[in-house]
Amino acid sequence: MTDESGRHAADQGAGSTSRRRRLRQRVRTTVPRLSRFAVEHLLLLPLGALIALVWVNTAPESYYRFSFATSFAVNDVAMMLFFALMTKEVVEATAPGGVLHPWRRAMLPVVASIGATVVPALLYIRLVDALDEPMLSLGWPVSLATDLALGYFVARLIFRPHPMIPFLLLLGIASDALGFLTLAFFNPMREVHLASGVLTLAGALGIAAGLRLTRVRSFWPYLLGAGGVSWFGLFRSGLHPALALVPIMPFLPHAARDPGFFVDARPDAKDTLSQFEIWWRYPAQVALFFFGLVNAGVPMGALEWGTFGLPMAVIVGKPLGLLIGAGLGILGGLHLPHWVGWRELIVSGLIAAMGFSVGLFFCGALLPPGQLRAEMSMGVLLSLAGAPLAIVSAWLLRVGRFRTRPGE
Amino acid sequence: MINARAAFPFDLVIMLGDNMYGSQQPADFVKKFEQPYAPLLSAGVKFQASLGNHDRSENVFYKPFNMNGERYYTFTRNNVRFFALDSTRMDQKQVAWIDTSLQQAREDWKICYFHHPLYSNASRHGSSVDLRVLLEPIFVKHGVNVVFSGHDHVYERLKPQKGIVYFVSGSAGQLRKGNMRPTDQTDAYFDQDQSFMLLEIAGTELHFQAISRTGKTVDSGVIRAVGAGR
Repeated sequence: MTDESGRHAADQGAGSTSRRRRLRQRVRTTVPRLSRFAVEHLLLLPLGALIALVWVNTAPESYYRFSFATSFAVNDVAMMLFFALMTKEVVEATAPGGVLHPWRRAMLPVVASIGATVVPALLYIRLVDALDEPMLSLGWPVSLATDLALGYFVARLIFRPHPMIPFLLLLGIASDALGFLTLAFFNPMREVHLASGVLTLAGALGIAAGLRLTRVRSFWPYLLGAGGVSWFGLFRSGLHPALALVPIMPFLPHAARDPGFFVDARPDAKDTLSQFEIWWRYPAQVALFFFGLVNAGVPMGALEWGTFGLPMAVIVGKPLGLLIGAGLGILGGLHLPHWVGWRELIVSGLIAAMGFSVGLFFCGALLPPGQLRAEMSMGVLLSLAGAPLAIVSAWLLRVGRFRTRPGE
Repeated sequence: MINARAAFPFDLVIMLGDNMYGSQQPADFVKKFEQPYAPLLSAGVKFQASLGNHDRSENVFYKPFNMNGERYYTFTRNNVRFFALDSTRMDQKQVAWIDTSLQQAREDWKICYFHHPLYSNASRHGSSVDLRVLLEPIFVKHGVNVVFSGHDHVYERLKPQKGIVYFVSGSAGQLRKGNMRPTDQTDAYFDQDQSFMLLEIAGTELHFQAISRTGKTVDSGVIRAVGAGR
């Protein structure tokens, strides 16, 4: 070996050591952040769902007794906390630095969400008909659902920090909002009495506005006063009372700048919205655990071919609809963010296919106990296949962390 | 069924759901229902349907099913009150309705029928335990005598459960051969060919007979109404 070649080998060795060091450093910073996110936002709901699946298939009678006895407390009351915290993320996102600031930024994802909801919904109705279970078409709003927390987690795994992530979150928020609207207007389970609901809700909004005007800093009056009246109004009107805090949360005083989507409030944060999050973050996770436990119990004997209608519709329909919706938006003069093209849209469509928490909520809200709900709920669980499919398609399409740099 | 009617001229048919598979366009109702059952329909036999998971919601408006646009309904024949339920969508309103309707019924016999069985020992689907938790206490409280269901494509008669006799008669349209896994709840079963049931109620006795596609009687017996007239 000559001196020259030895120096070259030493340089190479030093280069690979530094690369390894950088990789270790990145793993050291990324893994705890993402795993902490998983623990705090993702694990309790799947745990509840898993226990429910085992329980209902081993001791179904005791499972259903528990589920029916607790479903009102969990679905109609405790889930208020989950939707309140999701609304908090959206409210903060409208502040400077947030993904919804300025609002024009949200235009293309909102337009694209129309494609990403209409296409899977139409596909779903056609599929359940073709699979010879036309009654399942009643559950079409479930095909609109997107799990924001899970979607964010998978998107971070694939894209790392990337303009696609706020785009995907906006898409999810818009799709879920459309889903909630359809729940209000196409819900066969509930008789809607809008007039009395609107009046009571107006009262609740009046209380919240009064609290804000009088600079009330504690979240309790907003929660118990305005939230209580809102819950009662929604319950009486036939709309879902779990959404009671959604119109109230924007009235809570919040920080001037958005700390970021799913970035936890600092323990010393003084604004009312952050105080609300600090107080209710963990109780909301407990509510999600019970939500999974109460709603995800699906006996395997209830499954028919129609069960596959939902996962097929969302896994094919969301990427396709997203491409169509984004294409229409671009034709209308809107622009995709930098570094976002058709390949990123396909991967994001697969991520958005996962309905999970919101999908299970829609199932419970739309369908009474029985075979339809069981099949739809299992369809929602199967839509989680969107995560591995998104990772595989990202690898195949060279998207996000799998992107090939020029010269590689 | 037509041959059986020559010997036993029944005038009522109760349908346990999944009344039609595949396409359900107007022409299909002719091809899959009106033509095969033409001799019974023309003889004035009345069909009273309940819906299953393969039916369309709008089939409640199909006149020969006699559902009058209702997912669940009740009707009376002499001393028997029938209750047809929609077990695919058992919402709170329906549960409240069956509770009230059973409470008001004064007939000797209270017979409920719907698609999903509260008890079944077929391996494909088995018991719909969620519905059992909702409905069984109401049936027991109001003295329901007999319950008929389909869904599992076999015939099964169960030993009385809390005083109620349950039948699964789901193989008239399709058969799932060899699908039964009888347990100590099972009183009789048949899963080797398609079958249907004949019923005759005389006073406080209900005579039943399960007949295979070839005309063989595969199960028969008598159920006596306990507490008739409650």
